[in-house]
Amino acid sequence: MAEFIMIIVSAVFINNFVVVQFLGICPFLGVSKDFKSALGMGLAVTFVMTITCLITYPIYTFILVPLEIQYMEIIVFIFIIASIVQMIEMALKKFSPTLYNAMGIYLPLITTNCAVLGVAELVIDSAQIASLIGIEVAAMNMGFAVLYGLFAGLGFTVAIVLMSGMREKVSRLPLNKHLKGFPIAMIIACFIAMAFYVFALI
Amino acid sequence: MLSLLLQPINITSFLWVIGIVAVIAIVFAALIVLVSKLCYVKEDEKAKAISENLAGANCGGCGYAGCSDFAKALSEGKASISDCGATDNESKQKIADILGIPFSASAETFAVVKCAGGINAKNKFEYIGNKGCENQILVMGGAKLCKDGCLGDGSCAAACTNDGISIVDGVPVTDKVLCTSCGACIKKCPKNLIELIPKTAVVYVACSSKCKGKEVMNACSVGCIGCGLCAKNCPQGAITMVENLPVIDYSKCSGCKVCISKCPRKTIKEL
Repeated sequence: MAEFIMIIVSAVFINNFVVVQFLGICPFLGVSKDFKSALGMGLAVTFVMTITCLITYPIYTFILVPLEIQYMEIIVFIFIIASIVQMIEMALKKFSPTLYNAMGIYLPLITTNCAVLGVAELVIDSAQIASLIGIEVAAMNMGFAVLYGLFAGLGFTVAIVLMSGMREKVSRLPLNKHLKGFPIAMIIACFIAMAFYVFALI
Repeated sequence: MLSLLLQPINITSFLWVIGIVAVIAIVFAALIVLVSKLCYVKEDEKAKAISENLAGANCGGCGYAGCSDFAKALSEGKASISDCGATDNESKQKIADILGIPFSASAETFAVVKCAGGINAKNKFEYIGNKGCENQILVMGGAKLCKDGCLGDGSCAAACTNDGISIVDGVPVTDKVLCTSCGACIKKCPKNLIELIPKTAVVYVACSSKCKGKEVMNACSVGCIGCGLCAKNCPQGAITMVENLPVIDYSKCSGCKVCISKCPRKTIKEL
């Protein structure tokens, strides 16, 4: 139970993927103009991150490590993620058109998202994850990896939803021309990042 | 790094790595093919053919998220082709043929702003606040003394998908050539001052105030006072007075411009 809480605190707040580790900045700035699409993007990323961990962790542990080709991880992970996203998109279109309409348009954007590749790279590093959530390295297993992926995705969702809320409010302000749009978004992102940085100091 | 490059390459282990990665790639490729076969969804051929004939402006004037969304609604019979202002009549005829429904070509239209107030109209107060007519109207119905007057904040110009609206002397002026009559500006105007009129029209009424003459005189120097001189003098009888405002029937108008010369306030304008 303690590990479970540690995963949540670590993945969502202390090591938030976007505002602390600066991964997945592209959708964070690009799709955060309104609340609805930000939520859709966040949920799509969460979904893909979880599935990615579920597949890349066993492939790394049971194929790459025994064959001693760990250094091929990035290439292998990239095409695993790309093909999983493709398959999920097709499956959603067929079996759940409602869900497809809600997040289908964001799925292709995630194909080569660095937050997704980042979580795949992170969870295979057993020693680092174990130290983050306070367990023995030997106790690390796939369950922890998948949970970490899930909560890292939820951390992404929290950050992008916060961002979209602030951007919606700020877009109504009479701002100077040179601050309008993207520049003010960078400043908002900075404030959110600082707010999250406090968690690491606790 | 350099020493690594100078080392003789172990061809066997090199091929071994390529082989393993290729096997993983082939497995995933096979999975994708399998999933795509299992999850094949029939694309709507009709919607595809329709969207090829639409203007493709993605202006949103029809009320749908974009041209492809509108094409889907058309193919399902939920929308009408006349909702789209941007597509020309020839393409609309093709879409009607695809759908198998009759279609009568309507005259080409464009948008005009039925207010010439701007700097000629008095303000109740000075508005300092968030930009945009939809924000200004929240404060006592906007700064203009005339309750039907254009606020001049340019929300219509911002909404125009073709840069066809410019603000001149505090009122928006539409461009006959650039306007695709998509209707995006009409939806945006909080005072409903924008109307579509035929491209062949020669005159239009640049006022929307339904108030009595004295009130209009106080608020604006170019507003219609409802004297009815234009209606009395129109040789074609194309102008009728409705609620203190002239309404031009463009099917009767011959373009003689008598109304322009008779109007004491210069409210009827030439296009």
